[in-house]
Amino acid sequence: MSKQINVALIGNPNTGKTSVFNQLTGLNQKVGNYPGITVEKKEGICKLPRGVKAHILDLPGTYSLNTTSLDESVAVELLLNKNDKDHPDVAIVVSDVENLKRNLLLFTQIKDLKIPTILVINMADRMVRKGISIDIELLEQKLNSKIALVSTRKETGIDRLRNLIADYKNLPKSQNVDISVIAPDYFERLKEAFPKEDVYKLWLVITQDVNFMPLEKTLIKDTSSFTTKSKSELKRLQQKETILRYQFINGILKETYKIDANAAKGFRATLDKVLTHKVFGYLIFFLILLTIFQAIYGWSEYPMDLIDGFFASATEWVKDTLPPGVFTNLIAEGILAGIGGIVIFIPQIAFLFLFIALLEETGYMSRVVFLMDRIMRPFGLSGKSVVPLISGTACAIPAVMATRTIENWKERLITILVTPFTTCSARLPVYLIIIALVIPEGSFLGLSYKALTLMSLYLMGFGAAILSAVILNKILKIKSRSFFVVEMPNYKLPLIKNVAYTVLEKTKSFVFGAGKIILAISIVLWFLGSNGFSDEFKNAETIVAQRIKEKGFSANSEVYFENQQETLGNNLNKEAAVTQLKDLEERALSQEIASYKLEHSYMGYMGKAIEPIVRPLGYDWKIGIAVLTSFAAREVFVGTLATIYSVGNDEEETIKNRMAAEINPRTKRPLFNLASGISLLLFYAFAMQCMSTLAVVKRETNSWKWPAGQLVFMSLFAYIVALIAYQILK
Amino acid sequence: MDIIQHILVYITVAISAFYLINKFLLPKSVWAGKKNNSKACGQDDCGCH
Repeated sequence: MSKQINVALIGNPNTGKTSVFNQLTGLNQKVGNYPGITVEKKEGICKLPRGVKAHILDLPGTYSLNTTSLDESVAVELLLNKNDKDHPDVAIVVSDVENLKRNLLLFTQIKDLKIPTILVINMADRMVRKGISIDIELLEQKLNSKIALVSTRKETGIDRLRNLIADYKNLPKSQNVDISVIAPDYFERLKEAFPKEDVYKLWLVITQDVNFMPLEKTLIKDTSSFTTKSKSELKRLQQKETILRYQFINGILKETYKIDANAAKGFRATLDKVLTHKVFGYLIFFLILLTIFQAIYGWSEYPMDLIDGFFASATEWVKDTLPPGVFTNLIAEGILAGIGGIVIFIPQIAFLFLFIALLEETGYMSRVVFLMDRIMRPFGLSGKSVVPLISGTACAIPAVMATRTIENWKERLITILVTPFTTCSARLPVYLIIIALVIPEGSFLGLSYKALTLMSLYLMGFGAAILSAVILNKILKIKSRSFFVVEMPNYKLPLIKNVAYTVLEKTKSFVFGAGKIILAISIVLWFLGSNGFSDEFKNAETIVAQRIKEKGFSANSEVYFENQQETLGNNLNKEAAVTQLKDLEERALSQEIASYKLEHSYMGYMGKAIEPIVRPLGYDWKIGIAVLTSFAAREVFVGTLATIYSVGNDEEETIKNRMAAEINPRTKRPLFNLASGISLLLFYAFAMQCMSTLAVVKRETNSWKWPAGQLVFMSLFAYIVALIAYQILK
Repeated sequence: MDIIQHILVYITVAISAFYLINKFLLPKSVWAGKKNNSKACGQDDCGCH
């Protein structure tokens, strides 16, 4: 079998790099992290002519090899490190037909590393509309490389690109620009000191500020025949290099690239004026948010009911079909209940990601970043902080990692510390189930109360992030200055394929990422809830029967009787009514035994131990257990409750119904009422409750000081707010 | 049959508990051992220069 070709896909942000990646790899792709760091690593396999295969690596977007942020340095490190298993045999530089000049800067830098390089000119379908013409043949000659004119929208040019990759050995390796002319003496000495090395590679190693071992620079400083320059001198040389490259690029484009200046510019300018307007811009953004939250509720109701019903039937099927015993109980009450508790939220999470993907694909997200910069500045944040804050609506972990694009350390640190306040998708299942239980039906101006509550929670999370940023901005004594530059990509119709990939990938990672943890926790919890050491647990049947004989049924059972009577109506004859009542009493007895056993199980004792802490918030020991376990991941909350309420329960009921039927034995009112529900919502809106985020914050800040402070502050704040809300509303 | 079901439960619970302990409590280095950085960028044989 022939060796796979290693291909690095690299390019400026917003050039359609991901679309090219998707077209090359189809569904043969996976997303992970670079070893040792948490920058997202996207890779896939592409089938080439003659049965050859290529391993495609989608590198983080970068404007040049003079990196300014940590994730950009990933690209440089890979291109320089020949020992890296992913070091490319061929590099593909993806450029955008409308910004070719700027994109060619990166191309010439990569070409100068003597890596075979292919230039992809993407978005070719826009050429006619924009009045652009390119002499491809001449451009290939001038750049001494091969070019693929691609339109991912029209799916053209990809076959040529595949052929070029397969023939990569025939690509010229010559350099485009001789950078030694910017400081001949300096580069001469560099050459003398390291005669075996390529000068441009050495230059890049010297000038990279980030992610390289200090040993490298020490080695260069200590070499007696060579002394490097000061930081400011190196910066000046970098600027000279950029100017030299642009001179080269301008010269080439003058002969090969023509643009009709009168071609359509008006539409984009008009749209920008409206969407980034001081008043209308924010109004439109607000309306878009409203539509998203309304749609999350309206559209996902039907599939959610289907999933809920499916899991209830599956539980019943398992109990009826498999031989009775503890393992069957584990499958029905532990595994299925736990998985069902998370799978049910797939439709809503998929819709959320669908809207985020659409906003990004159309180019609107960059306008939001620009709009928000005005608001963010006074709070010690920048427009760039909006990207992590918006990404935080998916998950705080990549959002914290996304702060690497913020050059200013103070702004970056503040963004890292406040990002976990934004409502991540893990909070969504908790919000959705509690809102469904405690917020009444009804609407205001056509928007349901439930959708409005959900939107308020999102805004509250965002507000808490801003408020904390203000406080941190005042407290942190770090002096720094920063500038805000954002690229406004062209508006475009979203590519269905790209949107579909994003939704699929994000939903998959949500379900499988959290799913394994939830499944494991559900199994352990089921075990702890189904076993106990005390006499009460072992003699539960006798004790409960005796108690009912003396004191009658519990408040929970009384409510159960009332509900059942309402359902059955009064149309039964006397004989049928007696049989029915007997049946109901038997069911109530078995439920009371299950509940008593649960209370005296291992889990029951654990829950009772933490109950004094959570009782002032309106929670019982079962919710306490769910809050505790959801520290692993917030969405575990629903899975835990689903497991707790399933243990020993023979009824075919949905999680929501089980939770709605739960009565607080102290107040004799439903456990999930408006006061306890709002208290729970607020607790989850502000609490840290995510071990993985803490670990990422530690990694990004390189200290336990920040995540520890974050955990204490967010937990205390959440507890106090939830306490106040419950005490006012109860 | 009952014994088999019990054994299956204990195995499943043990696997789950081990997974959770390994994921959240044990430091990563327990299984990874010491990281070999000899090929990291900047070292003598890293291939960057």
